[in-house]
Amino acid sequence: MIEGARWRRWIFFNLPLTLFVIGLLFPFYWMVVTTVRPDAELYRPWMAPNYTPFWTLHPTLDHIRYLLDETLFSRWMLNTFFISVLATAISLFCGLLAGYALSRLKFPFAGSLGTGIFITYLVPQTLLFIPLADVIRNFRLGDTPWALILTYPTFLIPFCTWLLMGYFKAIPRELEECARIDGATRWQAMVYIVFPVAVPGILSAGIFAFTLSWNEFIYALVFLSSPEQKTVSVGITSELVRGDVFYWGSLMAGALLGSVPVALIYSFFVEYYVAGITGSVKG
Amino acid sequence: MVVDSVAAVKSAKSYVAAPRRGPVTRILENEGWFAFFLLLPTAVLLGLFMAYPFIEGVLLALSDAKVGVPGNFVGLQNFAVLLNDSIFRIAVWNTVLYTAVTTVFKLALGLWLALLLNRHFRGKAVTRAFVLLPFIIPTVLSTFAWKWMFDPTFSVINWTLFHLGIIRTRINWLSDPGLALVSVIIVNIWRGVPFYAISLLAGLQTINPELAEAAAIDGARPWQRFRYITWPLLLPVTMVVVLFSVIQTFADFQLVYVLTGGGPANATQLFATYAYQIGVGTGLLGQGAAISLAMFPVLLVVVVVQLLYIRRVEIH
Amino acid sequence: MARISRRKLLKLSGGGAVAARTGGIASILALKQAPAYAQGTTVHWLRWNDFVPASDQVLRNAIIPDCAKALGIKLNIEMINGNDIQARTTSAIQSGTGPDVICALNNWPQLYPESVVDVSDVADEIGKAQGGFYEESRVVANDGKKWIAVPWCVLGAQLAYRKSWFAEIGYDAPKFPQTWEEYREAGKKLKAKGRPLGQAVSHSFGDPPTYAYPYLWSWGGKEVEADGKTVVLNSKATVDSVNFAVGFWKDAYDDGGLAWDDSSNNRAFLAGTISSTLNGASIYIEAKRKPEVYLTETGTPLWKDILHAPLPKGVAGQFGYHLPMSNMLMKYVKDPKAGKEFLRWITSKPVYQTWFDSQQGYSVGATTIWEQDKLWEKDPVMLPFRTAARAGRFPGYAGPADRHAAEVLSKYIVVDMTAKAIQGMPVQDAVKWAHDEVAGIHAA
Repeated sequence: MIEGARWRRWIFFNLPLTLFVIGLLFPFYWMVVTTVRPDAELYRPWMAPNYTPFWTLHPTLDHIRYLLDETLFSRWMLNTFFISVLATAISLFCGLLAGYALSRLKFPFAGSLGTGIFITYLVPQTLLFIPLADVIRNFRLGDTPWALILTYPTFLIPFCTWLLMGYFKAIPRELEECARIDGATRWQAMVYIVFPVAVPGILSAGIFAFTLSWNEFIYALVFLSSPEQKTVSVGITSELVRGDVFYWGSLMAGALLGSVPVALIYSFFVEYYVAGITGSVKG
Repeated sequence: MVVDSVAAVKSAKSYVAAPRRGPVTRILENEGWFAFFLLLPTAVLLGLFMAYPFIEGVLLALSDAKVGVPGNFVGLQNFAVLLNDSIFRIAVWNTVLYTAVTTVFKLALGLWLALLLNRHFRGKAVTRAFVLLPFIIPTVLSTFAWKWMFDPTFSVINWTLFHLGIIRTRINWLSDPGLALVSVIIVNIWRGVPFYAISLLAGLQTINPELAEAAAIDGARPWQRFRYITWPLLLPVTMVVVLFSVIQTFADFQLVYVLTGGGPANATQLFATYAYQIGVGTGLLGQGAAISLAMFPVLLVVVVVQLLYIRRVEIH
Repeated sequence: MARISRRKLLKLSGGGAVAARTGGIASILALKQAPAYAQGTTVHWLRWNDFVPASDQVLRNAIIPDCAKALGIKLNIEMINGNDIQARTTSAIQSGTGPDVICALNNWPQLYPESVVDVSDVADEIGKAQGGFYEESRVVANDGKKWIAVPWCVLGAQLAYRKSWFAEIGYDAPKFPQTWEEYREAGKKLKAKGRPLGQAVSHSFGDPPTYAYPYLWSWGGKEVEADGKTVVLNSKATVDSVNFAVGFWKDAYDDGGLAWDDSSNNRAFLAGTISSTLNGASIYIEAKRKPEVYLTETGTPLWKDILHAPLPKGVAGQFGYHLPMSNMLMKYVKDPKAGKEFLRWITSKPVYQTWFDSQQGYSVGATTIWEQDKLWEKDPVMLPFRTAARAGRFPGYAGPADRHAAEVLSKYIVVDMTAKAIQGMPVQDAVKWAHDEVAGIHAA
């Protein structure tokens, strides 16, 4: 809490927060306006007297209709969702176990293993996707969601592992030691004592893993080919950027519809982990 | 076994000790084996999907392979070529500048935003979620929106600045070589701040508020409380977040690919876009792989420095 | 699985296949029934998503069922963004699996000569039947000995300009600046009125090179000699051309062009902020498709105020570089027969005709026969596109359109030479930089 006069709260809290929100959400707002803007208005240069950047007097749903009727958008959403959820689940599972082992257990080569997992994250995707196509073919995963569900963890696991290591390290050892003295097995101490305390960390790792999967482009482009298998970003750029003509309205509609549901889900989670943590730290 | 019976008696609420310990449990009680099993899933996945492509990638970089032509081993020749490549030098410089500038801004702004969001206010949950939007919207698509906003003919940014009286003629955001890099940096910061903010917010949440309250009672000013209590406790998470952000930024591809394609005149060319241009655009796989791999030593230096720092912090 | 059954059934069904081989499309049509390809035989064709949506509709709604009827092949057309085709091609070749036929832009076939099937029989047949291929189509799809792809089409590039605005400064249609000097003077007057010329000089595969290369050639500049080895970019002609380009840019062009992509000039033109720009027919076709959306400053439909003209002449002549497209049949396809039959069928006149018509002139065809098509009688505004491909050359001139040429092209060196000079680098230095880069590429 900011102590002192009301104006201090304004200067140090409300004002900067408002600026942040405006700065971060303006492009988003821009997408909303572009989505409902009729084509005739889209092609107005900014010097034109009737250029109205922040609103439109003739909102239209044509672009959204085009997106939903003429493209497989809802299918792509489902695909992306399915792929992201599974890839995130796999990565969190691996990352949780590995992160715990690397941060709280003593065993030979712990340090170098941690570094090893980390190094894999350094390998740029622009290098990897070509040889990876080979692997995908050998496992006969081409043009199936599994091509992505199993390859996304390659960049998600290092990320989850290391992020969770950070959170695990912050948890006092005494907590676990108490449980062990009380007779808990290692597994139990990990699952029932350490993991609950790390819930915010797990959630944020999950959120980011999910977002990274949601965003991924190159693998999705290269490993999938049927229109009905594609993910949102690949599908939209394939259908709505035609040669030298962009379908701006529908493009922006796709960006919006493809992210707002996720934001709503997050709003639930974010609230949850904020509430969850206060309990677990005090308890 | 003694411990076992004690546990059975105590039988804490949150966990139930196994009534009898089988061989599996016994193996798991060994710290080394336990670690082994915990690391197994990760090792399997990374081994299957990472090891081969990685090795293959390294071999590519040491060969003169082209698309469809396996090529011969040429040692470090591809790297030698890079030393005399003027576009490569530009790409290196751009990448370093891009990473350094965006990281500083993302960390500073992200931390600030995290501290703001850590307070109680009305609409907290919604704000926290919606602030994440720039990070959620698929990069390719949000970059299209920025492209439209920067477009010299339609720029809403120019319109705003003009009507605020800040500029008299339009600004060519993406055409001017200096401004083009600035524009790319702005978009990257916009995308990255929510990531920092939410990660750090989660870090802030794990800090027991009683610590700060106690300090406040002792008369510590807000800044002091931040400097001596919040910041040290936040540091491990911060370092990891910075570490990953640096790596991602360093290897950034989509944003530049969509926004400028590396132009004008390579003013925004980065490692990854140049590697793609050579490897995929021109079919010179060996050369492209070499450019990708050339990131490695640079990144490694950054990473080692950071890892050492993290360790030092942890010891203290 | 489809491939196994296809091979098996091809053996059994020699009749249809032989007929197709000897008589081509005519015999298939004569058979009036599908050659006995297996029901499950599929051909996966990867191509860019066309600027003309109607064409994609034709492919989906007419060509696919026709293909099943005529060849018994289930055609699977995948359309993606043109920028992303190379990523797919690369990974397909490297992993040995992917689309059977890939429609390549530019001289991409020359990047993958080892990975494509020799399609000389098909290409020769089509070329002979349709009056021969344009030079530009030939150099990108033929490696000097054999055809490595079957040319598909050429996307004509012409200046789209505002009739009324040019009339105001003394160029009543059909009069239009004929030389670069005239064009520059006209542009100067137009820019003074706030109606500059527009041109992308940036990293985008369409507009920037299709302008920069012909511009250079018309001054007499070229990358290499005909031997394909001696780099001669740093010449007086090149320096003159860049010198002129710098002043030209300041005098006449919209300075946003350094960051434009292929779509920016379309938008700027449709928004009425530029008076002339080099482009495919997409601006005109789009304006005509939505007459109520795109209006002139006086409120009349914009498309009625658009005309086309070729790029002006220079001391060395008048040139164009039009995006050629060609279909590669990939070598990793286990049995290329079906793919070949498909290419022979789709490129044959009656089948191609449906697609060509839907293009409304955006594509001018890869063979000269299409110049005589009655499509060109429909709209006189499109007429300059009809013979555009005749003056076409391909980057790498005077050498072959090989991998080196492609590297110079994909690194945007010729484009950036001009861009650097415009941004203030001394002209000599910019040309020298470009020369050294080109020499480096050719030495490798």
